[in-house]
Amino acid sequence: MASITVKFYSLWRLYLGVDSVTLQADNLDEALAQVEERFGPRLRERLQADGVQANGKIQDYSLILLNGTSLRNLKQTSLKEGDILQIFPPATGG
Amino acid sequence: MGGKDIIQYIAESAEIYVAPDGKKYPVISLKAVTSITQTKGGLAREVEITALKQGITPWRYLRNTGTIGLDGQIKLLQSTVAVVGAGGLGGTIIELLARQGIGHIIIIDNDRFAEQNLNRQLMSTERNLGDYKATVAAKRVKDINSAVTATTFLEKLTKENAHRLLKDAKVVADGLDNLPSRFAVEEACRDLRIPFVHGTIAGFSGQLTTIFPKDAGLSCIYGSSDSLPEQGIEVKIGNPSATPAMIAAWQVQEIVKIITGIGKPLRNHLLMLDAMEGIADKIELSRY
Repeated sequence: MASITVKFYSLWRLYLGVDSVTLQADNLDEALAQVEERFGPRLRERLQADGVQANGKIQDYSLILLNGTSLRNLKQTSLKEGDILQIFPPATGG
Repeated sequence: MGGKDIIQYIAESAEIYVAPDGKKYPVISLKAVTSITQTKGGLAREVEITALKQGITPWRYLRNTGTIGLDGQIKLLQSTVAVVGAGGLGGTIIELLARQGIGHIIIIDNDRFAEQNLNRQLMSTERNLGDYKATVAAKRVKDINSAVTATTFLEKLTKENAHRLLKDAKVVADGLDNLPSRFAVEEACRDLRIPFVHGTIAGFSGQLTTIFPKDAGLSCIYGSSDSLPEQGIEVKIGNPSATPAMIAAWQVQEIVKIITGIGKPLRNHLLMLDAMEGIADKIELSRY
């Protein structure tokens, strides 16, 4: 079981009131399930209060990086000690 | 008089500015630069470059050169920067590039100003609603700095036209509002070996990174280009007036650093500025 750090940024940090947490997980699926269980409902509640409908789990409406690269690029799902998950909202405006 | 060269004209027009600390700087006025340009023909930019090479600073760059030096200002005046999008980010980037003295600015945007742009898009005014953003921006460049030239493309940048639109740029700045276009720009910049300064905004937050051709880039942040949302959370929470300026200002600093070689560009890092809580984060990006 690897000890990893989950960091929230930008609006997600504000909504959740949390900078970072430490989790124990063997793989990404386990880690994301814990993140969803602990933070998903609160995040969606806060978003809804601001008029934003977020559907699905946190990973469905967030950008999530593992050690600085998007999960969408990764084939392996195992985690190692000291890994960092970075989670933040998609901001694409200009 | 016709036999004199530009250097002689510049030398005759030079003044001495005495700084508060007593240090003296040879300077030349905008009026003199304009007059020499009219007399000798050519571009005001060339007169300014010639003056700087003689150690004479155009007054307008006096507050630049303390930071970037005369050589830095010459490099900027000799450079072309392409700005893709002339809205919130792009409009502010263009304004600052003109004031900084970037020699040539390529402005790419097929959109026109609408009322909902007025809160944050620097170039928009009540009087130019309905006008092409790129055309307005080019006129603004000329009003700010007659030594800077601007080329406009009233086109939406696509994969198909990106090389043609960007090929002459030394640096490309992101003033876009959607990810698919940003991926098209990044791909073209990698092909053309041009650095790309990426920025995005939403609410009181924004983020940016500088991507050189071999660097970690957009896919590290957003995943692959074929599974992207067209727009992000800003569609719901909006973009208040100061947020584009916050990110655009830093994008321009990146451009200046890249061209002058001064400082350290934000390569392989995503800088996230959160004005809501007053926090700046830097995430190291890694290529997979």
